[in-house]
Amino acid sequence: MQWSELEKEVIRCIKCGACQSVCPIFKELGAESTVARGKINLIRAVIRGDVDAAGAGFEERMSWCLMCKACQESCPSGVKLDQLMLAARRKLAEDKGLPLLKRLIFRLGLRNRRLFDLGMSMGSVFQGLLLRPAPGGKGMLPRLPMGLDERRLVSPVDARPFRSRVPAVVAVDNPRKTVAFFTGCMINYVYPQIGEAVVEVLKRNGIAVVIPADQHCCGTPVYVNGDVPTAVELARATVDTLDGLEVDAVITACGSCGAALRKEYAALLADEPGYAEKVAALAAKTKDFAEFLAEAGLTTEMRGLAATATYHDSCHLARSQGVRRQPRQLIAGVPGLTFKELKAPARCCGAAGSFSLAHYDLSRKINDHKVDDIAASGAEMVVTGCPMCMMHIRDGMNQRGVDGEVLHTAELLARAYAGEKATERNG
Amino acid sequence: MEQAIVAAVKGIVGAEHVLEKYEDRYCYTYDASAVTAGKEGVPALVVYPGSAAEVSALLKLANEHKFPVIPRGAGSNVSGGSIPCAGALVMVLTRLNKIVAIDRKNMVAEVEAGVITAEFQTEVEKLGLFYPPDPASKAFSTMGGNVAECAGGPRGAKYGVTRDYVLGLEVVLPTGEIIKTGARTMKCVAGYDLTRLITGSEGTLGVVTKAVVKLLPLPEAKKTMLAIFSDMEKAAETVARVFMAGVIPTTLELLDNIYIRNIEAAVNIGLPVEAEAVLLIEVDGDKEVLDKQVGIIEGICREQGATVKVAKDAKEADELWVARRSAFAAVSRVRPTIIGEDCTVPRDRIPEMVRIIRAIADKYNIIIAVLGHAGDGNLHATILTDERDKDEMARVEKAAEEIFAATLAMDGTLTGEHGIGLVKKKYLPLEMGEGGMMAMRAIKKALDPNNILNPELV
Repeated sequence: MQWSELEKEVIRCIKCGACQSVCPIFKELGAESTVARGKINLIRAVIRGDVDAAGAGFEERMSWCLMCKACQESCPSGVKLDQLMLAARRKLAEDKGLPLLKRLIFRLGLRNRRLFDLGMSMGSVFQGLLLRPAPGGKGMLPRLPMGLDERRLVSPVDARPFRSRVPAVVAVDNPRKTVAFFTGCMINYVYPQIGEAVVEVLKRNGIAVVIPADQHCCGTPVYVNGDVPTAVELARATVDTLDGLEVDAVITACGSCGAALRKEYAALLADEPGYAEKVAALAAKTKDFAEFLAEAGLTTEMRGLAATATYHDSCHLARSQGVRRQPRQLIAGVPGLTFKELKAPARCCGAAGSFSLAHYDLSRKINDHKVDDIAASGAEMVVTGCPMCMMHIRDGMNQRGVDGEVLHTAELLARAYAGEKATERNG
Repeated sequence: MEQAIVAAVKGIVGAEHVLEKYEDRYCYTYDASAVTAGKEGVPALVVYPGSAAEVSALLKLANEHKFPVIPRGAGSNVSGGSIPCAGALVMVLTRLNKIVAIDRKNMVAEVEAGVITAEFQTEVEKLGLFYPPDPASKAFSTMGGNVAECAGGPRGAKYGVTRDYVLGLEVVLPTGEIIKTGARTMKCVAGYDLTRLITGSEGTLGVVTKAVVKLLPLPEAKKTMLAIFSDMEKAAETVARVFMAGVIPTTLELLDNIYIRNIEAAVNIGLPVEAEAVLLIEVDGDKEVLDKQVGIIEGICREQGATVKVAKDAKEADELWVARRSAFAAVSRVRPTIIGEDCTVPRDRIPEMVRIIRAIADKYNIIIAVLGHAGDGNLHATILTDERDKDEMARVEKAAEEIFAATLAMDGTLTGEHGIGLVKKKYLPLEMGEGGMMAMRAIKKALDPNNILNPELV
């Protein structure tokens, strides 16, 4: 790819500056080069020859994007900033290469599912050397500075990945529908309990679940960092695994996985012969867990949950997939539960995958607004549809001393079915 | 810039409020206009002062070392007026972001320059008060920038523009003196009207650090309607007729077919894409009088051959306004480069002006869409072009010149609300005349003897 190929898109930015009112990074840093208008104009400057793309300054500014799509939503000319950022990062990765750690993880680890599985389960054994339990059983804190901030609360890799816990087919009597569950890495390796809750709630509603064994990473963490060749490989593998399954829908329970399958693959696999139709079919078939369940309707009464809950919109669930109404409908429908909206529910929590590793302090500052909003809502539970958001919001609440639980929509519903009282706090 | 000067600047505002990296500075070579300073005009430094005292110290330093200073708010101005020149220091005022006071008894408010216009409006409206100026960029524009540019907006038809609300200012003069202009009272005739001189001076005569603005009671209710015309001429004629009937609408916006189609493509709310023109009309005031006003306007529009739809509720009305606000950028879907002209004529001349604009577009074989705050004669002839096409750009320039000449021949003005900036600098003498230019240069020289503030504009 040449930088000049991006000119067509960058000149559509009329420089009105509307992105200033929504960009979470600009709100913290305040410099024009951090807002969409600035980043677009830097790409324009590279095309003009005014800025050197090989310089560290340019690469750093291209890394300052959460891919939250807030600017796209408010951009009256409809400039697709995320596609520009992806293209820029891809070009930088092509020209300058990826950093060693990312190259190892993406190319060696992620391209080989068995090796990745092995790495993750070894990770679960050895993480004790690197992570220490946080006070109050809230999660883990790094013992050493290892690229993770030492204050950072992370969730440990589970010794037993979700896909090793459940059978490949979860059957129910007289199923209303059958779905395939694409778990994604966070649910498989870090939060298997979300996966269990998804299966549990679907089962209770007469929906059979198939969990294809060969599934792997959707590719999001890879392509947002510019490693398109690896992402293409992962996307192809995902499409091949899910294509042709005799199911009514493919379910995701992670905002980013769903966005990849439904929205991003079309561009990612555009040049792969024979994939256009399969990608379109998969996109049409894929639904978020809450979206699917709300549309299918609940057939079993929940026992209820006496709690006050609020909801955080994951960027990739709300803005990429347009799923906002359905999870709220499900949560508000829990008997005994009081639902409270946040002031700015769709404001990015600042996690953005590896962004929060590379720019931890910045991602914390962005998260502070979310935590303040949660605290002001008075809710005891924050529900969301994305495990990455959950990890980051938990970390923020822990650091700021804000009480409350962070749950996936599926976990909340599973609890409401079980009828248990909220006891476990924050984790 | 010499290292000693950079060190002095950091000493004034703190190193964390100075941008030195080339890529960061490069991002201040443009504003919301089509102009850019490019590589040659990358400023030497970008600083974010935290007080009027810091602004003053920076300006004194600038006079001592003779470097230009360009004040800037959100950079949402469309005149090219905040574009720097080489060696300049860009002074961004967004850290001055406090609403100092909202005084309900006297119905005035005091704000710092960097307060976001819409955020200020939200705060006063919570108290039942109203700050009317509503530039399309209000969600991100700053109050200081609005004062410096004398920003307008659709509500100008009834409520006027920024200047009509500014009672007093805190201004740092180009030489560094901090002065207060005007008063907190409705009446004040002490001395020259420096408040009005600074308002709309585009950052050439001083840096606005605070403004005292007049507030109104928040109108109890409003109603929005859409009049759909199959004939542009009839729509344009309707504008003056509404006023002649004794009704002053809050806003009266004219949109042509190009705008209607592209806004609809962008926001998808069911605008009539076949219509030749629509008038988007809003009235506000006490509930009791609204229906009467709506009735009068509806009658006039129907006489002119329009079909009229009145928004049922706030949601429908909001949709129409969101649509209107996205207009300028929505047409960028047609061609990548958008040049929004701002010629303003007495409102009875609108039909004639629209005819002339269309004839000019035909003559030069370019696309000109027409939208306007027709209620106050402020037409935005919008040239849809492609900056990469040199031949077309040459025709665009000729067309713009003809539009300017026609406007002045109709007792109009080159710019109703966008400002002169760099974009229209060379045309200003056409409107001001040699005498007018001389008077302005004399004022600039008296206040800014070293030509420090925004020197390229004068």
